[in-house]
Amino acid sequence: MKAGLEIHQQLSTGKLFCDCPSELSDETQGTFVRRLHAVVGETGTQDQAARLQSGRGLRYRYEVSPNSCLVEADEEPPHGLNPKALGVVLTLSELLHAHVIDEVQIMRKTVVDGSNTSGFQRTALIAVDGEISVNGKRFTIPSICLEEDAARKVGDAPGEVQYRLDRLGIPLLEIATGPEISSGEEARDVAEALGALLRATRKVKRGLGTIREDLNVSIEGGARVEIKGVQELRAIPEFVENEVGRQTLLLELREKLRSHGASVPTTPPVDVSEVFRTTTSRGVKDALAKGGRVLALPLPGFSGLLGTSKTGPERLGRELADYARATGVGGILHSDELPAYGVTPQEVEAVRSRLGLGGKEQDAYVLVAAAAGPAERAIEAVRARAREALRGVPEETRDPVLEGRTRYSRPLPGRHRMYPETDIPPIPIDARLLQELHLHLPERPEETLARLTSKVGLAPDVARKLVREGEVEVFDRLVASGHPVPLVARLLTTELPALEAGLPAPIAESDEARVRLLEPVLQAIGSGRFAKEGLGRVLTLHFQERRDLDSAIAAAGLSALSAEELQGMAKKVVEANVGLLRERGASAFQPLMGDLMASVRGRRDGKEVAEVLRRAVQERLGALGGDGKSP
Amino acid sequence: MSGPAPAQAATPGDSAQDPYDRLRHLPLGTHVALRHPSGRRLAGWLLPPDSLSSARVVKLKLPSGYNIGVRIEPGTTFEVLPGPPFGAEATDAAPGNGQGAPRPAEDPIAGTVALLTTGGTIASRIDYTTGGVHPVKEPGNLEALYPGITSGGPIHVRSVAEILSEDMTPAVWTRLAEEVVRELHRGVRGVVVAMGTDTLAYTAAALAFQLRDLTGPVVLVGAQRSIDRPSSDGVDNILGAVRVARQADLGEVVVVMHATPSDEQLAIHRGTRVRKMHSTRRDAFRTLNGRPLGMLVGEELRLESGHRPRGTGPARAEAGFSDAGELVWMYPGLSASTAEACATRARGIILAGTGMGHLAADHLPWIRRATERGVVVGMATQCLEGEVDPFVYSRGRELLQAGVAFLGDISPETAFVKLQWALARSTDPSVVRRLLVDDLCGEFGPARGLGTKKSAPDAGKEGIA
Repeated sequence: MKAGLEIHQQLSTGKLFCDCPSELSDETQGTFVRRLHAVVGETGTQDQAARLQSGRGLRYRYEVSPNSCLVEADEEPPHGLNPKALGVVLTLSELLHAHVIDEVQIMRKTVVDGSNTSGFQRTALIAVDGEISVNGKRFTIPSICLEEDAARKVGDAPGEVQYRLDRLGIPLLEIATGPEISSGEEARDVAEALGALLRATRKVKRGLGTIREDLNVSIEGGARVEIKGVQELRAIPEFVENEVGRQTLLLELREKLRSHGASVPTTPPVDVSEVFRTTTSRGVKDALAKGGRVLALPLPGFSGLLGTSKTGPERLGRELADYARATGVGGILHSDELPAYGVTPQEVEAVRSRLGLGGKEQDAYVLVAAAAGPAERAIEAVRARAREALRGVPEETRDPVLEGRTRYSRPLPGRHRMYPETDIPPIPIDARLLQELHLHLPERPEETLARLTSKVGLAPDVARKLVREGEVEVFDRLVASGHPVPLVARLLTTELPALEAGLPAPIAESDEARVRLLEPVLQAIGSGRFAKEGLGRVLTLHFQERRDLDSAIAAAGLSALSAEELQGMAKKVVEANVGLLRERGASAFQPLMGDLMASVRGRRDGKEVAEVLRRAVQERLGALGGDGKSP
Repeated sequence: MSGPAPAQAATPGDSAQDPYDRLRHLPLGTHVALRHPSGRRLAGWLLPPDSLSSARVVKLKLPSGYNIGVRIEPGTTFEVLPGPPFGAEATDAAPGNGQGAPRPAEDPIAGTVALLTTGGTIASRIDYTTGGVHPVKEPGNLEALYPGITSGGPIHVRSVAEILSEDMTPAVWTRLAEEVVRELHRGVRGVVVAMGTDTLAYTAAALAFQLRDLTGPVVLVGAQRSIDRPSSDGVDNILGAVRVARQADLGEVVVVMHATPSDEQLAIHRGTRVRKMHSTRRDAFRTLNGRPLGMLVGEELRLESGHRPRGTGPARAEAGFSDAGELVWMYPGLSASTAEACATRARGIILAGTGMGHLAADHLPWIRRATERGVVVGMATQCLEGEVDPFVYSRGRELLQAGVAFLGDISPETAFVKLQWALARSTDPSVVRRLLVDDLCGEFGPARGLGTKKSAPDAGKEGIA
């Protein structure tokens, strides 16, 4: 097998073609409605994926978010390319040893599913011919692009799709690898390495959906299939392996179809509506009641190869159905699974005889019940897909569904969907700027690891976690402002990840904002307002239950234990245990410490508590005339 | 040929050496592979140069579809690759080559709408290989650009000009008026004029003042997003304009454009009262000082009372414009001598005054001199909304005494177009002045206070000398 990756990472630099911030929001300031039309591209050709989409005649409703302006609404031309975002991509290109293009041209990539108000996604090729080594193996990076993210889909109604403008225009850095990946695990490792490199720029967004992988998978004799938008690294191996399995199955099916002498007729579909006049099959009945038709396509030699739900998760019948669904119908019925779904054996026989398949058991058929136009379009899609089955694996784009499975979404878009963004002049890349960037490259992940372990003194697994979580910048800043290294490390590798795992979104997306939020918490510990033992509880109350810091500390029962109070409590504990003290001398310290900590945990630092108790014990022992030895 | 001239000898000699010059002279679309002195290779198809590119940059279309600019070093080498040039495999796959769409038979006039194009992107196609823009002439092409445009009946397309909106001239306004009359005489239901939006409101006013006794609507339409974008507003606008031209009981010049950022609502504006009020938004066109004449919401066409219905005809044009008028924007610090320089050549001047129609006192002397010479001076407000009024402040009265005609609530631009039209009707200043202040085609809104219309008793009547 051969696989390649495309990684899309959102940047935290503000939007790509306007001055709106990159942060999402749930506030809506009104909506507007648009339709999109397929246009003829630069070459005079319409992109087939684009034509397919616009043919469905949908209207698109857009929710206006506070982080959007006339640019996202397609009511104003794009402003110039965000120089900060360009800087990040150039930096990354240098880190990947890629060649930066002399003069960048922003392109329009036709996308008429409504996810872009303009009907195209702006994208630019920034660098070519890079490389990265992972586990000692070299992978090529043929292209590094900078593009704008699409609007967020928030709903679906008949004839209408709803989007929000908050995500539209956020810069996406796209890194494509060559097809050198040879296993699912390797794909995950490469994705992880590229992710770490992206985070090394310290200008990327964090949280679910801010990094998305497209997987390009093909096997020997198969075809390039693009799986769009896998969001979790650990799911990558499963998607890759399932796709390999799917393509293998399709190739096996091709051999069987050939040995069965299978063929796909070119004759028009047969209207078998009459057969179902009195049917009890609900889908069919509903379609006919609305004036629809039942169309049938015979598939000679396909019988037994379309599969049923018992055959396994991947089967040819599902592939045919997915192509039909992409034209807008609910699905298909095929002979391998019939009689079922309310279709009777008598109806099955009647269809076979209408199609002239009586007695030809090796021949299958497909039924579509829908309004006349859609039914015809769907059956033609089934016919096209069945033809592909005789050839093997079709090139296509697939969307992830549950459990590492995917579903056909559209044909692979071609280069005909790219044409120049005439509203933005070409952008020359200054060689001096590149030299400058080269001299000030950020630390590579391996350099960061070395620094954190040897200079800062972190344990290797803690350092790796900081790098993996993309918290190095936050760590460095908090340590630089004087907070103790172990405390900051614990905050960023244990307490905060535990907290954020339970939150719908990170406490803040940008490093700056995270530092701003975490600084006061650490300061409160530093100034003794609560002890580090209470950190987890305070974080939960402050960030999850949204209390202000003071009331979070108070609610945790951790506040306001003064030095005097601590001394008083230490004395009390000592007095209550005078007997033990007499009996065991200084070695009574341990049990007394246990008693004292039980009542002051999290309110004063443990070391300080020990110190105060030690003094109290010594004083009392002195008064008792004991040995006065240190415990 | 008497031996090579030195300059000639140098140029071909150099260009034979310099890979940049050699590349520049290859046909566009040639498939080439470039090799940088560092050894890096890039293959793609040659594109036309960008006027804003840096020096020695050629543009390539890569197989991925991306365009890039490559700087050609003196040491860069290249080879021409085999295979078809860019775009050659594709041109015929485009829809709209005239196939498939119904082609109207010769002159099936009943129910036909005439579409006059002037060269704005709304009725043009862009050729990316040459960068050229070509008008759409074939009904088949039109149907490809605007699916459904012929569903209500045939469209008769004529190209009247091939210019950008900003290059529009009064000569084209004149030609358009004559073409509109010709089409209406042929019996079309209505006329749509497609043009760029920058000066569309001027054209609308120009047609409104020229055309009389209209038997159907004359609908101006444009697009704020060019038609090469999937999101172009041009599709809805032109389909709406055709619908208005075919169905509306209107005997006047109107503009049909988006009423909101949504694709669902189009406004129908009176041609003399509309102004482009935003440089980029779809709903840039607004009726000043009032509501639009009507709305087109989905299939539903609504007209306000007060619109002028289709006339019995025959339609006629009082076509043509003078160039003896000026439009002067009165701003703080404008010197009297600069302003007066505009008046030396002019037979008429529109002043875009501040507030209710004011200007600095040092301009009064030259204005008096001009009106005494027979120059017609009109006043409109640069506020755009609201009307001028000479009676509220003393400066207004002084201007009235200086002979300035106050022009109610019409925009400075509409006033100027009207002046140019009126100057072409007569050389008699009193006639020009009367045309300027009379309400000829609904250009003045309902009065809201003291105004010149009340002192123009003949308002509403046509008064051609």
